[in-house]
Amino acid sequence: MKRTLLSIILLCLCMLKVQAQEDSLQNHRYVMRATLYGIGHTNLLDTYLSPMEYTGPELRILRENMRKTKLMDGNVSRQSLFQANVSMTENKAGSGSEFSFLANWNLAYHYQFPINEQLTLLAGPNLDLNGGMIYNFRNSNNPVNAKAYVNLGASGIAMYRFHIKEHPFMLRYQLNVPLLGVMFSPEYGQPYYEMSISKDFGKNICFTSLHNQPSVRQFLTLDFPIKSTTLRVGYICDIQQAKVNELKSHAWSHALMIGFVKHFQLVNPYK
Amino acid sequence: MKRNTINDLSFRIIGHSKLSVIQSEAKNLGIIHFMFPRFFTTLRSVLNDKICILLILTFCITSCITEDVPDNTPQGNFEALWNTIDTKYCFLDYKHEEYGLDWDEVYRRYHNRLTDDMTKKELFQVLSEMLEELRDGHVNLVANHETSQYREWYDNYPSNFVDTIQRIYLGKDYAIAAGIKYTILEDNIGYLYYGSFSAGIGESNLDEILNELSICDGLILDVRNNGGGLLTLSERLAARFTNEKIHTGYISYKQGPGHSDFSSPEPVYVEPATDRVRWQKPVAVLTNRRAYSSTNDFVGKMKEMPKAIIIGDKTGGGSGLPFSSELPNGWSVRFSASPMYDPNMKHLEFGIEPDIKVDMSSEDMSKGIDTIIETARIYLRNYKE
Repeated sequence: MKRTLLSIILLCLCMLKVQAQEDSLQNHRYVMRATLYGIGHTNLLDTYLSPMEYTGPELRILRENMRKTKLMDGNVSRQSLFQANVSMTENKAGSGSEFSFLANWNLAYHYQFPINEQLTLLAGPNLDLNGGMIYNFRNSNNPVNAKAYVNLGASGIAMYRFHIKEHPFMLRYQLNVPLLGVMFSPEYGQPYYEMSISKDFGKNICFTSLHNQPSVRQFLTLDFPIKSTTLRVGYICDIQQAKVNELKSHAWSHALMIGFVKHFQLVNPYK
Repeated sequence: MKRNTINDLSFRIIGHSKLSVIQSEAKNLGIIHFMFPRFFTTLRSVLNDKICILLILTFCITSCITEDVPDNTPQGNFEALWNTIDTKYCFLDYKHEEYGLDWDEVYRRYHNRLTDDMTKKELFQVLSEMLEELRDGHVNLVANHETSQYREWYDNYPSNFVDTIQRIYLGKDYAIAAGIKYTILEDNIGYLYYGSFSAGIGESNLDEILNELSICDGLILDVRNNGGGLLTLSERLAARFTNEKIHTGYISYKQGPGHSDFSSPEPVYVEPATDRVRWQKPVAVLTNRRAYSSTNDFVGKMKEMPKAIIIGDKTGGGSGLPFSSELPNGWSVRFSASPMYDPNMKHLEFGIEPDIKVDMSSEDMSKGIDTIIETARIYLRNYKE
C-alpha cells in the first residue's frame, strides 16, 4: 500500500513539474475520447432495505478520456472514466420494486509495458469515486439507502491490436479492483432520522478493503473503423459489493455498450 | 479539418483516414494493426507464473456477497419472518421484562402449526397471530389479500373521542389550515385539532394559526385519534411551545442482530422555532388511546414544555420507529426498529400517562358534552403562573 501511495505522490509531483513546459504537437497531447451507451441487467441486494435480491434492466452511460502524459519518459497514460447507471428492479415475487442510481468517476495512471507491437499491457493506481442511492418503493422509515464510497485501487489494461483487410481493430480488456477506501453506510438498524439528530457520522464512515469490499469492474471492448469514424462495442461487468456495519450489499451489473471513439491531438493555437 | 477553441487549446478532430499522421505517437494507445491469430500465443508468453497467481488471487478475493434467504415455502417464510423479528425488532428484551415475551418459545409454538400444504391464507393467519405476540401497533404483515394489525392497544379501552360531539365545539365557523381545524370557544379558549401527523403543516401555517388564536387566554391542542405520521412535524409543532432548547428524550437503534445490540442513546432536543410565532400562554394537550406513534412522540415532547399539560387518557404508545422488510413470498413486514425513550430513559412503547386522567362520561356524551375538553377549559381558565 505504501508503494501505491508513493507512486501516486510521485506522479502528482511529476505532473507539477511538467506543467511548466509547453509545446503544440507532442506525444502527450494525444487524446482518445469515447462515449458509450448501454443496456444491461442488474442484480441488487441491500440488506438495509430488504434481505431479498432485486433484479431488472439498467441503462448505462460511459465516458472515457485517455491521454498520454510526459510522466516517466512518456510511458504513463492517464485515463478518466465516468459512468452512470440507473436501474428499475423488482423482487422475485414481483411485489416490490427498487430504483437505483450510481455514478462513478475513475481516474487512473497507467504505466505502459509494450510486450510487442501487437500487445500492450498497462498497469497502475486508480482513484475511484462513487455516489448514488437505492430507493425501495414500499418501505416505511428505511425507504432509501445512500451510496458513497472512495477507493484507491489497482487498474490493469491489456490492449491487442490487429488488422482485418487493412482495417485496424483494437481489442481491450480492463480490470479495476479497489484495494483500500472509505465508505458511507448507516449502521445495522440506524434510521436516517437518527443520523439527522446526532450529526455524528463517525460510525457511518467505514474503512474498506478487499475483505469487506470485494469489488471489481471489468471492461471488454472492441474498436473498429466504420468509414471515417471508430465504433466501439463492449461489455461491462460491474461487480460492486460490500459488507460493512453488519449490512450486506451488492450490485451486479452486466451491460452491453456501444458508442464512438474520437482521437484528438491537442494543439495550442497561440504557439 | 475542424477547429474548436476551448480555453487556450484547440482540439483537432482526426478521422480514421488521418490516423497515420499520429500513428507513432499513439502507438501505445491503440491504432497500429497486426494479425489477430497471434494474440493468444503472445498472451501465453506474457502471462508468467506471477501474473497467473495474481489473477487467481483476484478471483478468490472477488467472492460473492449474498444473503441466505429461505425458500418460498410455508416453512421458509415462517423462518424468514421469525428471523427478521429476532434480529431486527427492538423491543424483545423490553417486552420480555414487561410481560414475559419469549421469542424462542413463540417460534416453537407457532412452528408446530405449519404444514407443507397449507394455503396462503392459512399461513398468513399463523404468521399474523405470531406477530400479535409482540403487542405492537407498528407491526404489520402486508399481503395482497390482507394486512395484519394489532389493535388491542385501543380496542380494549374507551374511545374518549366522538367526532359528532367535537363538531358541536367546532361550530360552523371553524377554520381549516393544512390539516388543522381551529376555532375560538365561547370562554376565549382556543381550540386546535390536529388529526394526523401525516397531514403536512408548514411554518407559515403555524404562524397564521397561532397569530389568529393569540387573543385567547389558553389553547387546547387536541391530538386524540391522531394515529401518527411524520416525526419532523411533531418536532415542528412542539417547537412553537418553548423559548429555549429542551431535552425531551433519547433515541437509539440496533447496531447488530443480537437482542441487546443497541447504540448509545442519543439525546433528543426540541429547539424553539426562531423568528416564528411561539405560544406563550398555557396549553392543554388532549389525548386518548388512539394517539399513537408520532403523536405519542409529540405528547412526550409536550410533557416537557413549561406551560403544557396533558389531559385525557393514556396515549397508545408506539415509540419504535418502524422499518420494513419482506419475506420470500413477497409479503412485506413492518416492525419497530429504533426505540425512543423519555428524558429518564423510560420506554414510551406502551404509552404516556396524562397529567390529568379523565375519560368521557356517558352522561356528558348523552348531553353532547366532551368531558375531556371541558376539563381542559376549566384548567386553562383557572391557570396561574
